[in-house]
Amino acid sequence: MTLLDPGMDLTLRPMRYPGFYERFRAAIRNTWTVEEVDLASDLPDLDKLTPDEMHLVRRLVAFFATGDSIVANNLVLNLYKHVNAPEARLYLSRQLFEEAVHVQFYLTLLDTYLKEDEERRQAFAAIEHIPSIRQKAEFCFKWIDSISQLDELDTAEQRRAFLLNLICFAACIEGLFFYGAFAYVYWLRSRGLLNGLASGTNWVFRDESMHMEFAFSVVDTVRAEEPELFDDELTAQVTEMLEEAVAAELAFAHDLCGDGLPGMSATDMRAYLEYVADQRLTRLGMPRRYGTANPFAFMELQDVQELSNFFERRVSAYQVGIEGSVSFDEDF
Amino acid sequence: MGGCAVPTFQRARSPMGEQMTDSATVDDRELAVREAAARVGADPGQSRVAAALLAELIRDEAAGEGVDTFSSSVRLAHEQGLLSDETAAFVAAHAAELDALVDDTADDRFEYFGLRTVYDRYLLRHPHTRKVIERPQHFLMRVACGLSDTVDEAARLYELMSRLEYLPSSPTLFNSGARRPQLSSCFLLDSPRDELESIYERYGQVARLSKYAGGIGISWSRIRSRGSLIRGTNGTSNGIVPWLRTLDASVAAVNQGGRRKGAACVYLEPWHADVEEFLELRDNTGEDQRRTHNLNLANWIPDEFMRRVEADADWSLFDPKEVPELTDLWGEEFDAAYRRAEAEGRYVRQVPARRLYGRMMRTLAQTGNGWMTFKDAANRTCNQTAEPGNVVHLSNLCTEILEVTGDTETAVCNLGSVNLACHVTPDGFDFAKLRDTVRVAVRFLDRTIDRGYYPTPEAAATNAKWRPIGLGVMGLADVFFTLRLPFDSPEALELSTAIAEEIALTAYNTSADLAEELGAHPAFGQTRAARGVLHPDHFPAAHRKPAEWNALRRRVAEVGLRNSLLVAIAPTATIASIAGCYECIEPQVSNVFKRETLSGEFLQINRYLVADLRAVGKWTQQIRDAIKRGGGSIQHIPGLDDELKRLYRTAWEIPQKALIDLAAARTPYVDQSQSLNLFMATPTIGKLSSMYAYAWKAGLKTTYYLRSRPATSIAQTTVAATAPAVTVGDTADDTAVTACSLENPEICEACQ
Repeated sequence: MTLLDPGMDLTLRPMRYPGFYERFRAAIRNTWTVEEVDLASDLPDLDKLTPDEMHLVRRLVAFFATGDSIVANNLVLNLYKHVNAPEARLYLSRQLFEEAVHVQFYLTLLDTYLKEDEERRQAFAAIEHIPSIRQKAEFCFKWIDSISQLDELDTAEQRRAFLLNLICFAACIEGLFFYGAFAYVYWLRSRGLLNGLASGTNWVFRDESMHMEFAFSVVDTVRAEEPELFDDELTAQVTEMLEEAVAAELAFAHDLCGDGLPGMSATDMRAYLEYVADQRLTRLGMPRRYGTANPFAFMELQDVQELSNFFERRVSAYQVGIEGSVSFDEDF
Repeated sequence: MGGCAVPTFQRARSPMGEQMTDSATVDDRELAVREAAARVGADPGQSRVAAALLAELIRDEAAGEGVDTFSSSVRLAHEQGLLSDETAAFVAAHAAELDALVDDTADDRFEYFGLRTVYDRYLLRHPHTRKVIERPQHFLMRVACGLSDTVDEAARLYELMSRLEYLPSSPTLFNSGARRPQLSSCFLLDSPRDELESIYERYGQVARLSKYAGGIGISWSRIRSRGSLIRGTNGTSNGIVPWLRTLDASVAAVNQGGRRKGAACVYLEPWHADVEEFLELRDNTGEDQRRTHNLNLANWIPDEFMRRVEADADWSLFDPKEVPELTDLWGEEFDAAYRRAEAEGRYVRQVPARRLYGRMMRTLAQTGNGWMTFKDAANRTCNQTAEPGNVVHLSNLCTEILEVTGDTETAVCNLGSVNLACHVTPDGFDFAKLRDTVRVAVRFLDRTIDRGYYPTPEAAATNAKWRPIGLGVMGLADVFFTLRLPFDSPEALELSTAIAEEIALTAYNTSADLAEELGAHPAFGQTRAARGVLHPDHFPAAHRKPAEWNALRRRVAEVGLRNSLLVAIAPTATIASIAGCYECIEPQVSNVFKRETLSGEFLQINRYLVADLRAVGKWTQQIRDAIKRGGGSIQHIPGLDDELKRLYRTAWEIPQKALIDLAAARTPYVDQSQSLNLFMATPTIGKLSSMYAYAWKAGLKTTYYLRSRPATSIAQTTVAATAPAVTVGDTADDTAVTACSLENPEICEACQ
């Protein structure tokens, strides 16, 4: 039996994919709650922003307002149904919870940053009215719809369709749209602005990274089980999909950056997105499409361990779920 | 790091070259600074370039406010109500001499992060324009003048600080010379009495003390536990948690002049019947009504508890309203009272001691909080506890201060730290220079006691009586790197202990000098020193220089001491950043890490390692990526020699036993305590319980945070992606792609 064979496997012993189960456990240890993030400290910063910067922040908030809900919908409607291993479904259940926390985080962000009910309503309506956000949403909906009629993955063609959906949400949506949005947040922080948003984003970023890695490990597993699914056409389709995502995100960047802001422009963002897209292709074992270098030095900081002291922001590095019992002769 | 080691640094060319004219907007120049700073990851030298650019920016910003000399800066700040009349008058009277002493080239000693920190948080700003009205060197001279009676004194202290050889703590740097010069770092408040008025009185004290940048330690051990009868209303108490929630909100509400939020640590003795709820206060799960997200927590542990844990015996939990005597007893008297109350059945309930200890370990692992501090070791060795009734009830926010408190006595401490990195060359450690630095530092720490403004009468009275100071160190890791001593080598242990002894001897001798000149502190008669017992005497094996200690003991008998306590090793988080050295006595946490601060994020890189790798032509993009992929470790990188790998281990890779052994060997020479962080990437209850039992047995008085690592981490953006492993056939192995990321310790077994 392979991972994508139709059915409702319930057997956890013996476990076919212990790696998925370990990811589930690791995710639980990184539980965080929205109440731990101090967004109120951002309010004085909002007053300092120029009109152009404020425009960027509002657009970001509008994107975040619906982004994670879309991901959660695809997970429920398309992924959970077809990944037929209970340990993988455990992870997806956990991911669904994390998406819910992200939705709550961005709702709290929106309520904190936008004071008028009308502004809040507008933010949620952005996927209808703001072309740059609408374009990204339509990209997502197109791929949700692409397999929504599939109840079972019986044929190679159906399995390839599923893989494209999975890769789309991992590489293009969580792995590119969100990575683009995070770059704006860290750019703001590199200028000492909106630390509350950035500290919550650290946690969202960590979660999204794990979601993406899980999806890619599903791809790895399918590739190992059914290598014949991975043909040149699939590579071409994935590359084309990423090109489309880069284009959509770039349109968003033009909307956000206008004629450019200090240290942030649509030109830089294009290079960053191309660089990230190449990273995703490489991870999938596919040739790079762009060969562009990362232009954002501040993103380098996100790869490195943090060191905070308690006079400042909260340390986000502690673990939940600790095991063992009291003893006195262990090494330390 | 080691900012002081390169005094002849050449001012770097701006990366924007000729474009960088006066017409460049401030935004552009700020951007150039940040861009240079962002390149530090590839070239640590860019840190100095960025710092030099920032120094220019600061100079121009101050000039825009009309500040071009030190005296003009002080004049403007005084006109704007920021500085005291005394400081302004002193500077005006000696303007020419002081202006001549200011050495602007000393800015070249700053790394970028240090100067950025000074600029963002320390320089005085105009109340309306919010522009800086002093340059970094003006700031240091202003701090010196705020503590000086003569130009010579100011010159000496300024020289020390501008060379980054010694820095006073942040409150002194913030407030020296100010109208309300609150110069003290820490305040220790005794537990409120078990009554409403006393609890609210303490909230008020905490708020007033927090306002001026002091950190708060407060005990809560006297407050009745949940279910206890309230006579006045015939109701029952909800225990300590609701009170601590109020304290939590109060502390968060106090904004220390916009520079940082208030911060407090609550101490509780583990016999208190609410101890289990106390340990859950920082959990991020469960009912939010019973959580305190801002408070730090510490356990104030009597030896009897640890003995019960060892013996796997039961532990009795008491309501302080029913058993009020335990709080003010320690040692054998505590043991006797505890057993008596237990025998009389006055406990609320009993639990297996190991279960509670295990719960403490879990809290440490999950929150880093719930610090283990030891009541009996603290009291047994404290100079202030010679007389009955003088009891140390708690430590402070950073667990390095141990002083007597009482209902009307709030303990205070003024801190400063010697930058050890400035006292070492590859040829060896310079003890003579260390002695010189310590002598000056002690004099100025003593001066802060008299110059300081105390927000409450309880604090003012106590500090005048005991006159404690806390001289500490920073940059111990720099010393070890410079001399190429691994943290767990016998040579490191020997040197670290010798440094500690030298500091203690010099500090005590200087305090005796001060006593001779100005008189012993008023409570000297109540101290162990007055009875001929100095701190190392509590540790029989500790007399490494018996002749010197004997001479000192004779001298103290003659003239007394100006200060009841002298040495405390504080965390130095911010001042080590300014000085560009590693924090206090800590090993490096990573060869590459970012600092998150109120002013954004900054990359920090181990420049000793970079120099070593450059020397062998191995500072390449591949190695840089490998270090990042390894979460700051170099252990997994092929082709590096073993000596290098051993020297550049991180705190996660050094046996924690070695950190505890270093701390224990230093303890005889630290009459207060040390902020000792411990590090464990993947803590388990078994490892933690072994480690803290060892720390207790080693005689440590306090420990500080337990640092652990995130269970999962972000996908790295700027490190080249790894293609999927070729042999994915074994699906159980599908996590191989993240292998070797120490940030994924649970997933990664490869390096363990």
